[in-house]
Amino acid sequence: MNIADREKFTEVIFENIRDGIVMLDKDFRIRAANSSMGKWIGEPASEIIDKDCREIFHDRSSVCPHCAALHTFETGEPNVITQKGGSDDSPSFAELSAYPVKDEAGQVIECVVFVQDITDRMLCHDEVLRLYNEVTQTKEYLEGIIENSADAIVTSDLNGIITSWNKGAERIYGFAKEEVLGKFLPFIPEFLIDPEWENNQKMRNGEVLRRIETFRKRKDGKIITVSLTLSPIKNGSGDVIGISGITRDISEKKDVEKELVRRNQELSRLFFISSAMRGTLELERILRMVLTAVTMGDGLGFNRAILFLIDENKNVLKGAMGVGPSSHEEAFHIWGKLSMERKTLPDIMQDIEIGALKKDSFFDRMSVGIDIPLTEETILTKAVKEKILFNIEDVTKEPLSDAVLVQQIGTQAYAVVPLVSRDKVLGVLWVDNYFNRRPITDEDMKFLTAFSNHVASAIENARLFEQVKLAEQELENIFESISDMVYFVTEDYVVKSINKAVSRRLGKSPEEIIGKKCYEVFHSMGEPWTKCPHHKTVETRTSFVEEVEDPFLGGTCIISSSPIFNTVGAFIGTVNIVSDVTELRNLRERVIKTERMAALGEVAARVAHEIRNPLVSLGGFAKRLEKRLDGGLKEYADIIAKEVGRLEMILNEILGFVKEARIMKETVNAGRILEEVIATMQAEIEDKGVVFVKEFGEPIDIFVDPNRMKDAMLNILKNSVQAVDPGGMITVKTYRKENECVFEIADTGSGISEADKASIFDPFFTTKKSGTGLGLTITHRIIEEHGGRIEVRSEPGKGSIFSVFIPLKNKQ
Amino acid sequence: MKILIVDDDLHIQRLYKEEFEDEGYEVVVASNGKEAMEKFEQETPDIVTLDILLPDVDGIRILRQMKEKNPKIPVIMSTAYDYRDDFAVWASEAYIVKSSDLEELKAMIKKLLSK
Repeated sequence: MNIADREKFTEVIFENIRDGIVMLDKDFRIRAANSSMGKWIGEPASEIIDKDCREIFHDRSSVCPHCAALHTFETGEPNVITQKGGSDDSPSFAELSAYPVKDEAGQVIECVVFVQDITDRMLCHDEVLRLYNEVTQTKEYLEGIIENSADAIVTSDLNGIITSWNKGAERIYGFAKEEVLGKFLPFIPEFLIDPEWENNQKMRNGEVLRRIETFRKRKDGKIITVSLTLSPIKNGSGDVIGISGITRDISEKKDVEKELVRRNQELSRLFFISSAMRGTLELERILRMVLTAVTMGDGLGFNRAILFLIDENKNVLKGAMGVGPSSHEEAFHIWGKLSMERKTLPDIMQDIEIGALKKDSFFDRMSVGIDIPLTEETILTKAVKEKILFNIEDVTKEPLSDAVLVQQIGTQAYAVVPLVSRDKVLGVLWVDNYFNRRPITDEDMKFLTAFSNHVASAIENARLFEQVKLAEQELENIFESISDMVYFVTEDYVVKSINKAVSRRLGKSPEEIIGKKCYEVFHSMGEPWTKCPHHKTVETRTSFVEEVEDPFLGGTCIISSSPIFNTVGAFIGTVNIVSDVTELRNLRERVIKTERMAALGEVAARVAHEIRNPLVSLGGFAKRLEKRLDGGLKEYADIIAKEVGRLEMILNEILGFVKEARIMKETVNAGRILEEVIATMQAEIEDKGVVFVKEFGEPIDIFVDPNRMKDAMLNILKNSVQAVDPGGMITVKTYRKENECVFEIADTGSGISEADKASIFDPFFTTKKSGTGLGLTITHRIIEEHGGRIEVRSEPGKGSIFSVFIPLKNKQ
Repeated sequence: MKILIVDDDLHIQRLYKEEFEDEGYEVVVASNGKEAMEKFEQETPDIVTLDILLPDVDGIRILRQMKEKNPKIPVIMSTAYDYRDDFAVWASEAYIVKSSDLEELKAMIKKLLSK
């Protein structure tokens, strides 16, 4: 470039650059000002030439170049200051950089001041910091939960090498964290190593194994039964890189609360993984902008530039992006095209912002492939370690020149500046002038240095943003996808946020719930419900976990409510997790019932021997006596024999109920079974004048033991007939509901009191004067044998409805 | 025809003996496992009714010993409690739960002896 070109070049930059530039002499008189300066004073820049800088700026503008230049005139050194203007509500910030212009004797004769509007950057920086702090806090909170959990939470890599081990794991397995970190999983019993390997394969395929029951070995060699949930840990690109396992010692599984804690942990673990991921989209845009600015003619004007970022995990400098032509032809073509389109740097920036410029160059692909280990001693790694810049004028004379750059991209001279943000080196910016061979000057280096500082903070900001955004997204996903209701409520009982499960369960849209009082939307009450854990948490500021029979939502729920404090420790509300455990509770009750019956069976078998034998001789001899007697005595013997016969029948009934009879299943029509049962009851129904309604819809085939099912139905129907008054009504129905066949027997009889309802299936429970109290117990048993269930709804004085559900797919 | 009745309940023993003698059978009785095996070998009955719960050896073991000695003699297991499910593998010819009504047992004996 000749002098005239150079001058023209400088002038173009001077007039088009977005930053204001003003040049002051020793008396602070304005020697020159570019057009961007105009926006700081509100009049054209040409108007202020030769005027005193202090008069122009001091009162009229939020910036003061004089304040920046003062120091430079005194010391001869560059000086950077930040100035704040505007109001407190909408502040504006400017960065003023003063550079000295010296004469041949080294005296400062003039000073150039760059004025840059950094309001957006400052505000954005504050916002990022705030979000970052918030996420860090949540992370610590969740970490606390993991660490203090009662369950063992262990993560490992795909080879079973342990990467984390919480206190719960120490407690359950007996190994201290220090003993096992970095070692192979110590708690897998030898006999389970092969099956565990199969689990490992499933993890690699991304499967999640929930609550499998298996065995684990403690440090003391004791084998314990555990419930285990295994999930794959994925990295940013979705590859499985490890396994997390949550183990519970189920010898003490009564504690339903633990289940809740475990879910919380699952949540937080997912959260961790996500926050470790690095997104790229926003960052990529910033990198492209940076490199374009470095290589554009009206930017810094280098031929090629590569951004290297430090990959801490691999301890390498990794090529993140490269900009520049890959050949002379391409260089000619690109530069020709750009100048033809006459796009200025701001225009190109705009294009990048909206995504019009895509990354497709050969040079970029080549740059991204370059890895330089930080353990090697080269110019690039030195720039990182010592935070200094280098201008290598001839690679052949510099022994530390990066061989990979010389060989792969043929550079002969290059410059490197470290990218430092808040004392941390993020990477380096590499440039060269491969095509026009222009030497890199000190002036270039100065520009590059000033530029690199902004680049570093922009990159860091972008990274923080990405992290926060990702973490937020991930949390949001988890929040939405868990099946339990999760919601935040303020201390004033206002619902702040909810997940999908809440609107599903309440049957209302989020708009109808958020912003309302929680006791209104959840409990339809005018004031806080005293039983609600949230209410207790608000009162006491401590966590509550409770099993609550919710009369408003119906069913049984485990509700956990935890207080949330803001950064200064003030209580701001609670996070609530509600699990519907109605099913669980029903199951638990059925187990208890079954156990009681088994105990009863043992007693019955013992009693049988003691009673049956005497009955047999008593009845047998009575019969013999009867044969030999006449008249009244014969009748007495007959009565004895008959009564013994009745006793034996009762005994058979009792024993028959405890004894599992062989079930002979066949495919039969559900309506047919009821028809036959009704036929055996026909006489009684008619005697009582009962109105009998039959509603058998479409024929339903079920696979059952017809005789047992008939016994089961007969007992229910007998009860109903006995319960109704003469002239009452009984309705029997069969219909299909999802995968079950439903038998329904409804009567308008006396009904069952709430107190009796729980006991009607218990052995020997009866409200009638005669009867063994085994009828419904037998029914219950038969239905259970068929994998079905029975439900009773009843209102005293109005009647009862017995519903029997038999699974349709039960062909074994 | 000779029936061997094995039962530790002396009343039941006597009831069965009188009833079966009325039917025209010859009856021998035993009250425990040891006695049962002695009678089985000495008397060579045509059929046996065998209780399971005996004071010395249980009826299942006696059944096996009898079948080892002479598998052709039919045995009817006769018990106060329905052990049928646990009992299936032992394959006696028949099984009956004791009752004051002896008609079923009598029919069973008649049927087994007529084979």
